[in-house]
Amino acid sequence: MMQGMTRPGPWTALETGPDAAATASAQPADFAALLRRNGLYPGFPAHSAHPAGAAGAGGIPETQATTILAFKFAGGVLMAGDRRATAGHTVVFDRADKVIEIDRHSLMAIAGVPATAWEMARVLEHSFQFYRRTQLQEMSLDGKVRALSKLLRDNLSFVMQGVGVVVPLFATHDTVAGTPRLYFYDAMGAQFEAADYAVSGSGSPAVRSILYYANTWGGRPLRELDRRDALVIALRALDTAAETDTATGGVDRRGSVYPVVKIVNGEGISTLPDEELAEIFRTEVR
Amino acid sequence: MTEEPYRWVEAISNRREYIQNQLAGGSPIVALRYRDGLLFLTLSRERQKLFEIYDRIAMGAIGHPGDIERLRMAAIEVASTEGFTRSAQDVSLRRLAAFSLSPALKAAFEQLYGPPYLARMLFAELGRESDGDLFVRIDFDGSLHASGGPHMRSFEAYGVLAGTAAQTQAMERQLASGSHAAADLKDALQTALDVWTIGFLTREEGEPPGPEARAAARAEQLREAVIEAVVLERGAPQAAAYRVLRPEELAGIA
Repeated sequence: MMQGMTRPGPWTALETGPDAAATASAQPADFAALLRRNGLYPGFPAHSAHPAGAAGAGGIPETQATTILAFKFAGGVLMAGDRRATAGHTVVFDRADKVIEIDRHSLMAIAGVPATAWEMARVLEHSFQFYRRTQLQEMSLDGKVRALSKLLRDNLSFVMQGVGVVVPLFATHDTVAGTPRLYFYDAMGAQFEAADYAVSGSGSPAVRSILYYANTWGGRPLRELDRRDALVIALRALDTAAETDTATGGVDRRGSVYPVVKIVNGEGISTLPDEELAEIFRTEVR
Repeated sequence: MTEEPYRWVEAISNRREYIQNQLAGGSPIVALRYRDGLLFLTLSRERQKLFEIYDRIAMGAIGHPGDIERLRMAAIEVASTEGFTRSAQDVSLRRLAAFSLSPALKAAFEQLYGPPYLARMLFAELGRESDGDLFVRIDFDGSLHASGGPHMRSFEAYGVLAGTAAQTQAMERQLASGSHAAADLKDALQTALDVWTIGFLTREEGEPPGPEARAAARAEQLREAVIEAVVLERGAPQAAAYRVLRPEELAGIA
């Protein structure tokens, strides 16, 4: 090979020779496989098995993030999360963004370890784009839902060692059927489709009860609520979670730090502006 | 046989001639800057020829479909890996072309016992500001033609790709003679289609075809082929600026 040394970077698709060609075409649309082939797949070095708890492997306090909720309403799916990240009893960060845009019609909310969760979100975002660019078509909805499941499953060995547990929610718009779809997962990667609402994180028991109550006896089911009423319930639920759960952040009105709330529907994703959240907090929550 | 230097040069020259003949019939591709971003246009019969590579990079190619696929896949892999491990801002057409594609193409072309890539590509990158736009043509032997000289700073607001050098020159002359950077999408489409026709009609050096000849040729071609056009939009709401134009946006362009 005359010019072999001048070829930099991960370059599997252009390597000549039958072996390289076989590797490159084995999983042509799988971005995670591409990362793995190049030794770039995210993971954490685990030195010793360690029981799950406030401290992760090696006794390093693990940063965690906490209450997220999502439910279907008249205008699509609303997804919201508080802003606090904690490690043991310490508040690490009060501006964490736990509701993440994955593509034009997909949202992921994260509870658990942000280091793993944000990396999962990045892999997921790139996977969908990589699929679209290489295969010249969008990945199907089922394919997207399954992709997150697979990432969680890949992370299982770390979870068993007490690091990097993530329990996400996934909301998307079914562009074929024209309906909103909502999924929740467990840490092993099982996926469940939610009929009306889904919650996750340490503050979620309270939120789950509130959403159950509102959906059943609240006068109107969540599905029929307009944007403002949906927002009021979401913010009240997060406020309730913050009241009892130390790992869930409330509203810092002095610093103007409000929960992150996003809506996904047929038109795409919209992020609710702080002014709107501030107004509802002032009039409806406190 | 190729141990002797002269024989090697002769073999390379035969190979070049063979590939150039194979590429000569390709439908031209026109890329130009317009008011809202960059526009790519070509006429295609059966295969797609314009592709998304990354958030702000698009590609058009002529040649063998198998080779175009491998190069396209490689470009997407390199860009996506860089975008994932560093950030989307670190993905640059200059580096993709000069450090990844060009050396690989040259190596394949000059290894006489391996197959060369039968493909010629035109890449465009949408800059953060309009003076950062870049058009790069990469040939089967790895040679690069960037629209902006040695440092790939874009001085020309266009890039073209065609089967022969005469076609390329005729199209570039036409684009250099007018200004289209402020044109809206409809005017830019019309300009691009006109330049495409000039490329299509040019067979050898000489006077460019007149407006009537161009209109007649275009009408004839549009009966059998369709306009394929994509844009990299500067004001796109999401990070990916690439968008395939809808049929209604192409209506009335002829």
